[in-house]
Amino acid sequence: MTGTWASRLIIGLTLTFLIGPFFIIIAAGLSAGDFLAFPPDGLSLKWYLKVFEVESFRESFALSMFLAVFGTIAALILGVPAAYAISRYQIPYGETIKTIVAAPIIVPGIIVGLALLRYLVVPLNFTITLALFLAHTALVLPYAVRVVSSSLNNLRSDMEEAAVLLGCSRLGAFFRVVLPNIQSGVLAAFILGFVTSFNQVPVSLFLSGPGVRTLPIDMLSYMEITYDPSVAALSALLALMSVVIVFVAEKFLGFSRYV
Amino acid sequence: MSSAFVSLQNVSLAYGKTVVVPDLRLDIRKGELVALLGPSGCGKTTTMRAIAGLMSLHAGSISIDGVDMSRTPANKRGVGLVFQSYALFPHLNAFENVAFGLRLKKLPRTEIIGRVEHGLSTVGLSHLAQRKPAEMSGGQQQRLSLARSLVMEPKVLLLDEPLSNLDARLRLEMRTELQRVQRDTGITMIFVTHDQSEALALADRIVLMKDGVIEQLGTADDLYNRPETEFAADFFGFENIFEVSGSSIRGPQGSVSISFTAKAGHLAWRPGAVKIGSGPHKATVRGVAFAGEHREYVFDTGLGQIKASAPAGEPAYELGASLSFDLPEDGALSIPAKN
Amino acid sequence: MFQNNREGLALALPAAVFTAALFLLPVGILLSEAFQVDGQWSLQGYFDFAAKPLNQVVFLRTLKLGFLVAFVSAIIGYAAAFCIVNLDGKHRGRVFGLVVLPLMISPVARTYAWIVILGRTGIVNDAIQGLGLSDTPIRLLFTETAVFLGLLQLFLPLMIISLVSAMENLPKDVVPAARVLGANWLQVFTRVILPLTKDGLVLGGTLVFTGSLTAYITPAILGGSKVLMLETLLYQRVNVANDFVSAGIIATILIVMSFGANLLLKRISAARS
Repeated sequence: MTGTWASRLIIGLTLTFLIGPFFIIIAAGLSAGDFLAFPPDGLSLKWYLKVFEVESFRESFALSMFLAVFGTIAALILGVPAAYAISRYQIPYGETIKTIVAAPIIVPGIIVGLALLRYLVVPLNFTITLALFLAHTALVLPYAVRVVSSSLNNLRSDMEEAAVLLGCSRLGAFFRVVLPNIQSGVLAAFILGFVTSFNQVPVSLFLSGPGVRTLPIDMLSYMEITYDPSVAALSALLALMSVVIVFVAEKFLGFSRYV
Repeated sequence: MSSAFVSLQNVSLAYGKTVVVPDLRLDIRKGELVALLGPSGCGKTTTMRAIAGLMSLHAGSISIDGVDMSRTPANKRGVGLVFQSYALFPHLNAFENVAFGLRLKKLPRTEIIGRVEHGLSTVGLSHLAQRKPAEMSGGQQQRLSLARSLVMEPKVLLLDEPLSNLDARLRLEMRTELQRVQRDTGITMIFVTHDQSEALALADRIVLMKDGVIEQLGTADDLYNRPETEFAADFFGFENIFEVSGSSIRGPQGSVSISFTAKAGHLAWRPGAVKIGSGPHKATVRGVAFAGEHREYVFDTGLGQIKASAPAGEPAYELGASLSFDLPEDGALSIPAKN
Repeated sequence: MFQNNREGLALALPAAVFTAALFLLPVGILLSEAFQVDGQWSLQGYFDFAAKPLNQVVFLRTLKLGFLVAFVSAIIGYAAAFCIVNLDGKHRGRVFGLVVLPLMISPVARTYAWIVILGRTGIVNDAIQGLGLSDTPIRLLFTETAVFLGLLQLFLPLMIISLVSAMENLPKDVVPAARVLGANWLQVFTRVILPLTKDGLVLGGTLVFTGSLTAYITPAILGGSKVLMLETLLYQRVNVANDFVSAGIIATILIVMSFGANLLLKRISAARS
């Protein structure tokens, strides 16, 4: 047998490589100096506080939040029935439909953003926000379908038949029997969708206009101009937000099995 | 037929283009307990699902209590089904599971409570009303599922392999339970099983099916003692089946003569009917297994392999031993040729 | 299962129509533009694109980094996954959770950390100067190495996850069985573990490879205009030169490579089952 020390060393090094950098940004954000440095030049919370005062950060955070929440809800509204159909019916052209819905995962985001800009925003007068919303919905949709499908597949369909035989309509059976039992899957899909959408960059690269910018794009442009530790502080805060979300989701839903 | 309560006329069932049941006629009387018996893939479950309305008819009609139900959706048929997997609702406790259908009927609250409590006590689960299905044993879940169907007072209760998921002790308990419920309620019950012993023990009548066709229909006594086809004979334990040709019978390896006259068709013997130790035929022991009260043998004979058994008290033959045996008239089942 | 297929279609269609109309259609038009020159169908755009040395360099670099990141993450991934699978239940869940966690964190945040590490005043340069190895800061950012490290950190979890789930499906005790039969560790790996986890490796490899090809943030932040990759080149072509033809061509290349890797994955995993 390999010694456990070797095993621990490998795991330790891997985790250091994967997670260590986050501790470094947290620390870098604590710097009292005006320039990004590690170890930080003295300790202060000023950059963490400054993040909240930057007007563009606040606006872009609000937009990202809006897209993540409502884009994901829209994706679930489209995705839950689709997942249900895929797992319970033998739909004509089922494979084609599955491929279409899954396609946004494969198509690089930057192209999607560019295509929507050129063919929806410019000629059809869609607002950038609407285009972003549509893009984020389509982007989250495959995840929603996948996660909800997997929890539907774990739910035996004879339960719905039992409900029907007890007098339920088909729709009634869905709401009374199916939905209560896939709740945690739907919630997991929401969280995964939210995080995916919130962190999404390439789609939004071309889809930004005056005052309309998602937070990650805003951070990218901010770091091009300045070299102060505020982006480090903001990155640390975002990482922390994700950690909290994942921790809570893991605790209540066993989230990692859905990823 | 006027006495039929559940009547299937020329029913044809198909999954897509695959016809599972070509043309089925079956009449079941009110208050009867009928078993649909057969190996997997024989169409028994499909037939049951069609009666429940979970499977649409390709052709033919189904009526219950004189009313044509062929186009009636499953939720309006008044048919109950106890699923093999129980299909309990995991998010509801025992009480709510049983109340599910009653609440959909919008019955008054007090009536619901009364009927649920009665239903739970019928199956002996009153003390577990607040438990979720996951916190109950297999046998308790089975009874809960039964109660959930019974409180709806269905015209017909269908049961899919009701005993197959239970261990031997619970199986006996559940069997007794089903018989008692049937006696008390007089409800018409149709259950699906692949296990001949379950069908024999429980059913008033047995419908033996093969490839979507009824092979034989009759009482337990009929099917066990007087199977009419080779398939039925084999299914009920006449494992040695040989074709009659003149005054001899023919097996895969050859023919031997028999000492009595037989009608054209087939002759069949249960392993226990094979007389071991004396007789006109020679055999070599190919296999032997001790099975408690009996010793089970496989012999190589002039006919081919045959199966025999002898009480464990009798002297045992070892592997490779030679012996004489007979296929006596007494214990031979004659299966007349068709046509 | 349920027989009313029209009902099923009605449930699935909104999602499919939405994606097709608002996502695939615009992307399709964009891609088709790259096949047109002056309104005529033509591959001329591709020939012109391929003739430019910069494009060749960027294409090969993207491909090289994609393979390299996939290869290195497979090596680290096998070691890590094997150790994780052999942990007991409680620790396994925790370590696995820590591996999954970075995937949930903003890639901007994940990549930005490397600026702190590799920048002129970062840890590495501090260490180098502190040890007296160099008097002036060494350029570490805006190098292929920086992009490679960033991509590796970004996508390694995908490989580990794929390999862990493949290894969890290994029949119990195959490794001890092979050991008892006289295999050394290298033989255990090449003759037992590798063939049995091939699906996981292919899945992980495809995810990492396509992820690296289509990553934007990492090459943008850590590579800049010095180390362009296809995605950053695409952005630059559009933003600097309004060159939509090149954009369409790069897009097509990226999609073809992603689809190709995906198809390969399906082919290989189908061949086994």
